[in-house]
Amino acid sequence: VSAISDSPAKTPALETPRAVANKSDKSRLLRAIRMSLAIESPAVRRNTQAFNTGRYAATALLPDYDALKDQARAIKDKSIAALPELIQTLKNSVRSRGGHVFVSTTAEDACRYILDVCRWRAAKLVIKGKTITSEEIRLNHVLQNDGIEVVESDLAEFILQVADEQPSHFIGPALHYSRERITALFKRKFKTDQPLDTGEALTQFAREKLRDKFLYADIGITGANLIAADTGTLMLVESEGNIRMASYLPPVHIAIAGVEKIIPTRAEMAPFVELLAASATGQSLAAYTSFLSPPLTDPIFLLPGKPAKAREFHLVLIDNGRMRMREDAVLRETLNCIRCGACLNSCANFQTVGGHAFGGESYSGGIGGAWEAGTGKLENARFSELCTGCTRCVNQCPVRIDIPWLNANLAERLNQQAAPTPLSHALGSVTSAADEDRTAPAGKIFFGNYHYFAKWGARMASLAHAIGGTKLAELASLSDGAGRARPLRAAMERWVGLDRRRNLPVFPKQTLVQAAQKLAAGVAKPKAPKAVLFADVFTNYGLAQRGVVTIELLRALGVDIVVSESVPEGRAALSQGMITTAKGHAKRAAIELDRYVSEGRDIVVVEPSSLAMFRRDMQHLFESKERFERFRSRAFDPVEYVIKVLEKTSRKPTDIFDAARSPVGPKIFFHAHCQQKTIGAAAPTEKLLREVGFDVLTSNVECCGMAGSFGYKADYYDLSMAVGADLFTQITQQERSGGKRALIASGTSCTEQLHAGFDRAVMHPIELLAAILKK
Amino acid sequence: MPDLATTFEQNATDAGATVWRCERTPLAVRSCVERAAEGLKGIVLSEAEFLAPQILGGVRGLAGVILKPDDEQLATAGVGVTEAFAGIAVTGSVCIAMGRPLAAATSLLMPLNVVLLPGERIVERPRDLFHPGCLKGEGLKRNLVFVTGPSATADMGPLVRGVHGPHRLLILLLE
Repeated sequence: VSAISDSPAKTPALETPRAVANKSDKSRLLRAIRMSLAIESPAVRRNTQAFNTGRYAATALLPDYDALKDQARAIKDKSIAALPELIQTLKNSVRSRGGHVFVSTTAEDACRYILDVCRWRAAKLVIKGKTITSEEIRLNHVLQNDGIEVVESDLAEFILQVADEQPSHFIGPALHYSRERITALFKRKFKTDQPLDTGEALTQFAREKLRDKFLYADIGITGANLIAADTGTLMLVESEGNIRMASYLPPVHIAIAGVEKIIPTRAEMAPFVELLAASATGQSLAAYTSFLSPPLTDPIFLLPGKPAKAREFHLVLIDNGRMRMREDAVLRETLNCIRCGACLNSCANFQTVGGHAFGGESYSGGIGGAWEAGTGKLENARFSELCTGCTRCVNQCPVRIDIPWLNANLAERLNQQAAPTPLSHALGSVTSAADEDRTAPAGKIFFGNYHYFAKWGARMASLAHAIGGTKLAELASLSDGAGRARPLRAAMERWVGLDRRRNLPVFPKQTLVQAAQKLAAGVAKPKAPKAVLFADVFTNYGLAQRGVVTIELLRALGVDIVVSESVPEGRAALSQGMITTAKGHAKRAAIELDRYVSEGRDIVVVEPSSLAMFRRDMQHLFESKERFERFRSRAFDPVEYVIKVLEKTSRKPTDIFDAARSPVGPKIFFHAHCQQKTIGAAAPTEKLLREVGFDVLTSNVECCGMAGSFGYKADYYDLSMAVGADLFTQITQQERSGGKRALIASGTSCTEQLHAGFDRAVMHPIELLAAILKK
Repeated sequence: MPDLATTFEQNATDAGATVWRCERTPLAVRSCVERAAEGLKGIVLSEAEFLAPQILGGVRGLAGVILKPDDEQLATAGVGVTEAFAGIAVTGSVCIAMGRPLAAATSLLMPLNVVLLPGERIVERPRDLFHPGCLKGEGLKRNLVFVTGPSATADMGPLVRGVHGPHRLLILLLE
């Protein structure tokens, strides 16, 4: 890569993408991240963020986007359930039209069959359209080893073939390449003096190289986006025209597809047609969407010197682990995937490093780990650690796959496969982690049981406050990482992977629960709204003042509010793939809150990632939907709850709040927490802040890069800061043109990331509202 | 509320196609094709199915039209003239039905593709063509290609129109 790189990378290239494609050991993952940050990140950011912006715009134009997603999901669920029958129906449909169908159990079987077809037809030249499934089965190597020339005709795949790299993205396999790097690559590989210094020149150059290959190819190979069992119709989506050519010009067309691409009928392709392009590239439709039921009836295209042959069609259906995935309660979910890439484009980590780091041999991004594990080995899914569980992909998936939940399960399986160390065992024991989770690496057990360490840290800090004041408390909190706490921080970095460059929150003098006990009890009217403030671990042992302010403000608004005990709700454990432990934590939280809910109290949660547990993630952790619904329907963000109370008591926000009283001025920058956005709790906050008179600016970043514990980890500190750079840049640019703004953020870890970028105070929206309450 | 033709015209233009409204007469169609093909060598026509035969009849007499092209001529001709099976208003797409002589070749191989779209065959959304009641359910039976603008790529950096398929798409919206 270094030889072909003309990027302004400051650090030398460390690896080639091929060398780090297999990430079954973690060192390759870390090397791949370094390589991508050094070389590929600028192009990946530009291209994925363009796709992401386009998707938001295109899906907003779909009048029934949610209903379409439901329809698509229902069709996929039905198809996966009936897959064996659909395969049989499809075989009959294709054969009745004169085509051939081969169902391959393994990648090797598929390659052998395709090679046999090539040999039978004495093929010398094969032209391929983009098919990631052919990457999965390593088809090119098999054909080339038999002396067959294989030409990739999708321009991105063409670039990768020239560069000998694996794809880095489902739909933009070479989007890690800038135009400048492509120019340098072509000049070096093709030894040309042409300037090739524009996209048009490069396209023309490649087109000329490929035109005759299309015309003289013996066989064309394509993939398929979907296949209808009833008619044998392939749905093929593309923009360049190469798939149309590969399926029409050569006398033999081979289509390769995973068995999960089959749906019952052609009519059921309808919702996918509109969803796929919008979700993938942000277009209403790609340039070409073909619906072909081969073999085509068009006459064979014959140029002089090309032997006359009858038109022939082969459909090669690939199992390669998919039928096993179908029997696996977790991996079965993956088979719904239509490979639009929306989960890649909406992922902040992916936007920063792309699929050569956040990806394996064939598949990449949030959904990629499950594909690699299902069609290969679990170890190949190690890169799915880069899924932080921020959930920004969840609402973007056109078939509603809960990708963070998939990745939590992959993490759990990897944890359980790991060799336990004495430290992980000891940590698992003292924290009472579930037995099933005690083989996890020590760092995961540490982060996954943050409540335990925070509780003890807070006790020590409280003592230190009493004895020696703030400085000693900082030392006790280990927050003084650059100073006196340095040896301890170095030890923590070594043993549990907590990066020493990160500031840690200073444990408060009083926890939220302690502070709440000292607050004056509110005097609520008999029919006042009733709530319980769930003392989440991050607020209770961290930014406790946010909880205190929430109680004070809601009492001022007439709410009868009490505070719960502080117990973990499972967020920390879930984020480390410690699912059994997370289930235990969620159960504890539910038991703690049960009596309050029985009293008719709503649940207010300050930390958005904790709130998201009640609103979303606990659906996977509770034994019944009813149990989940009991908490989901009553859980609110503090600002959401303020809005609910105002609406219930028929008061306008401006009757209660006045931005003119703001201690930080009227101009603010609001950074919404990733999970807060996903559960729909961010938009109401932004709206209320505007309504009460604030001049609010926001960013379009999906996540600040901190993502709970992710940014604290030494392995991922650089990536986390690189992700954060987008947010920092947008804030800086806005302030450069419009003056300084107060930083407002709801998340504990977002607050830390903003501190890291700006070293300025960050307020929670509820603190800001409390400050502008009219007396 | 704009009518389907107006919506189609706007969205096709946004997708990179050119739309000319054209009277449905042999003379008008001939004139449009002649103007579009100016400077280009070789015009190939696909067979019509939905239009009256005389509509394309005028074009056949134009200079440069290759009436029975061999495959080498197809590979090098400059203009392909194709009849559309349908148009889609919200995406500005034209749907080409494969299988008719030269429909695939004229819509794919030449740098300029001129597509004749009868206005009454414009539907609102892509999904409509999957409904048995739409255009007699033919959309569910045929080999179709939804063409939205000329071929394009962003693989070489900026968006480039004109890759393997046609570089320009001219839609004659027949009124």
